[in-house]
Amino acid sequence: MPRTTPRGPVAAAALTTLLSLAACTTDTSDAHSAADGRTITIGTTDQVSSLDPAGAWDAGSGTIETEVYATLLSAHNGSTDAKPDLAASITLSGPTKYTVRLKPGLKFANGHDLTSSDVKFSFDRQLKIADKNGPSSLLYNLESVAAPAPDTVEFTLKSPNDTLFPQILTTAAGLVADEEVFPADKILDDEAIIAAKPWSGPYVIDSYAKNSVVSFSVNPAYGGGLGAPKNTGVVLKYYTAASNLKLDIQRGDIDVVYRTLTIPDLQDLGTKPEVVVHTGSGNGIRFIVFDLKTQPFGSATAQADPAKALAVRQAAASLIDRAQLADQVYKGTFQPLYSYVPQGITGATESLKPLYGDQRGGPDKAAAARLLSTAGVSTPVALNLQYNTDHYGSSSEDEYALIKTQLEASGLFKVTLQSTEWSQYGKQRVADQYPAYQLGWYADYLDADNYLGSFFADGNWVNNGYDDAAVKALIKQEQTETDPGRRTETLRQIQDAVAKAVPIVPLLQGSTAIVTRAKIDGVPQRLDSAYQFRWAELAKR
Amino acid sequence: MPGLARYLTVRFLLIFPTVFALVTAVFFLMRLTGDPVTNALGDRLTPEQLRQRLHQAGYDRPLLVQYLEFLKGVATGDLGRTATDNRSIADLLGSYGTATLELAVYALVIALIVGLPLGRLAAYYRDRAPDVVLRLFAILAYATPVFFVGLLLKLVFSVWLDWFPVAGRASTGVQLQLAHRSSVTGIFLLDALRSGDGAAVLDVLHHAVLPSVALGLLVAGIFLRLVRTNLIGTLSAGYVTAARSRGVPERRLRDRHATRPALVPVITLLGLQVAGLLGGAVLTETTFEWKGLGFELAHYLTARDFVAVQALVAVFAVVVAVTNFLVDAVAALVDPRVRY
Repeated sequence: MPRTTPRGPVAAAALTTLLSLAACTTDTSDAHSAADGRTITIGTTDQVSSLDPAGAWDAGSGTIETEVYATLLSAHNGSTDAKPDLAASITLSGPTKYTVRLKPGLKFANGHDLTSSDVKFSFDRQLKIADKNGPSSLLYNLESVAAPAPDTVEFTLKSPNDTLFPQILTTAAGLVADEEVFPADKILDDEAIIAAKPWSGPYVIDSYAKNSVVSFSVNPAYGGGLGAPKNTGVVLKYYTAASNLKLDIQRGDIDVVYRTLTIPDLQDLGTKPEVVVHTGSGNGIRFIVFDLKTQPFGSATAQADPAKALAVRQAAASLIDRAQLADQVYKGTFQPLYSYVPQGITGATESLKPLYGDQRGGPDKAAAARLLSTAGVSTPVALNLQYNTDHYGSSSEDEYALIKTQLEASGLFKVTLQSTEWSQYGKQRVADQYPAYQLGWYADYLDADNYLGSFFADGNWVNNGYDDAAVKALIKQEQTETDPGRRTETLRQIQDAVAKAVPIVPLLQGSTAIVTRAKIDGVPQRLDSAYQFRWAELAKR
Repeated sequence: MPGLARYLTVRFLLIFPTVFALVTAVFFLMRLTGDPVTNALGDRLTPEQLRQRLHQAGYDRPLLVQYLEFLKGVATGDLGRTATDNRSIADLLGSYGTATLELAVYALVIALIVGLPLGRLAAYYRDRAPDVVLRLFAILAYATPVFFVGLLLKLVFSVWLDWFPVAGRASTGVQLQLAHRSSVTGIFLLDALRSGDGAAVLDVLHHAVLPSVALGLLVAGIFLRLVRTNLIGTLSAGYVTAARSRGVPERRLRDRHATRPALVPVITLLGLQVAGLLGGAVLTETTFEWKGLGFELAHYLTARDFVAVQALVAVFAVVVAVTNFLVDAVAALVDPRVRY
């Protein structure tokens, strides 16, 4: 008997049934069933590169590592000071020697004893491997580590009286690894790390699907200073698209968003009663760098003239309206920045404010014109300005379009904007190919030196040709000054001195934004620069 | 050598230059776009520190030396470890290849279920209203970029109607539940079925619907048009007219005599569509947070991880080339019109 019924409609009916069934499934999602009711689900767009402390120095890996590995010292919330974590005490026992005593009875989650030998091993390993993706560069001043007793670690430094070294111990380079698990000379695979449970921090990893979903529970063996978590565990869920992250917090599929939603998404979520948007000043800053060789009248140009070059920088600093940038481009999520250290970090000043523009922080065309005419600069000054959108965010395009408008509205500048991909940007800017360009910085540790040293010390990261012996001497002074009052004064002097030469024009101080469901406690409504997102504080009502 | 064996041997040998040309192009193109260390740490390290790390990683050596080293690795089956997160390529394929395979199979099922019957329907109603509507649908289905279809589906069915989840391969709870099982295949549907938990199976299917439809529609449009054209051709062929004159019922003519020969080219097209599916998977996986090879390729491209990108493209190239070879072989066996 020939079959005459076409199979298409049958298949279509089956598909429809399947789709209907699927659409009707009860929501088994998220936090509700991930574990008990006190587990917090956090969503992020960050990506993890490695769980090995020697193999990663990125935000995504750092988020996990700071929760599963402990450091000798750590920065507690609301303070920029480094406080004991695994350490019981730290003393500067000689000009180049720090002695750390460990808390008694420390253990890793796998039951291994955590002793000074593990600490020595961890630092030696960082320096030996010096992985291309790792944080070993932060240990630039570490000569050697010794473990004279099971509870005592001695750090010998290359240069004396380094008051910043305790801060270095709070960073990714200071995470303590289990010497019975990690090889001394190479990076360990994530799978092998997970299996060996070498956790020294407040949490342990229960299951790990890289850059997909990771579950954590409280580490009962943790003996550090951060205290017991207020939740029973955390599930970390990874997203690529910020739009998916936004929809999932809105639907309640996740409890917390930590890095990073777009500004329109944050604004929209701010109107929803079921979520709370916590914002505040972050420790990231954005600025324009002038290349002192190739900027107008720069030292390598045909019209080289230091006085005219200075006038050009000062005129630009007088014309930029930071408040307009913050409001118009970043919808108030960024704040104007008038120095090289963001507000909230000890020692930050507003050194540029009284020097430029209307001397209250606003722009002033007349002041800029005076600076240029006094120096004999004919206007408009042609300025090539570079920016980047794939590293510093897509809003950079609007930010720099507005800067161009602000500079050109005065009639004093003629700006040519150009955008370059990040992979080329880093190389070309240090090759003096950009007369003026966008850069940004976020802190490795919350200290003014992490900014000033990176911008203006010998062999600095910015590398724009600014080289002031007096400023460099002051930086060396603050790096070894033990008296907090005197150090703050030195930091002020550095910022005041650089502000006069203005080789870098600070623009904005970044914002931090964390979004939580309304039932989540543990994130302050207003975040300051010293705020550190630590999971232990999160609790579900 | 008999004709068929010679034909298959030549087709098989062609795989090697195809893959070689592609990986060579990718090797050099990726290096034009920067390196992973500068990309990741260019905003942290001083120029001197950066130079040291590039030297240590060997990225400052002459390109030719790096290329020969890469070829040696490919020849010995060692594709290296990813530059940004130190993973073995085998591990990468094991973790993410299964997810892409799962999505591609779902999409193919959707394509066949939608494309074949609708193609037949369009042929039966040739040049009448249903045919016009279906042809328009087919053009829209394969001409609309897959990420746009994905976003549209998400907007309508996730955001407005709230019928389907926004993204992901399963709910967090189900994902953790599957991850905790001792042996997992990485194919969520299989893992969920093996767990014996009906809710988990439905949850996995629930999450698969939108990405599968987005990717499947791309191929369905092509199938629809192909089946329609072929069926119109066979329906007017002499042997069908002869059968009709012998009194074979019209429905039998349509469903048996004309349809089966009309479906042969679909086999060839299936092979060609593997490339389309993999290309579409990159965009679909990114739109729906489907953590597969396409998703990882996009991630590694952004990170300028040339080791990972080279390896993934090589794998994609091999899959497409081998599939095309198999399709050629099958076509040669089943279609007497193929000459060799």
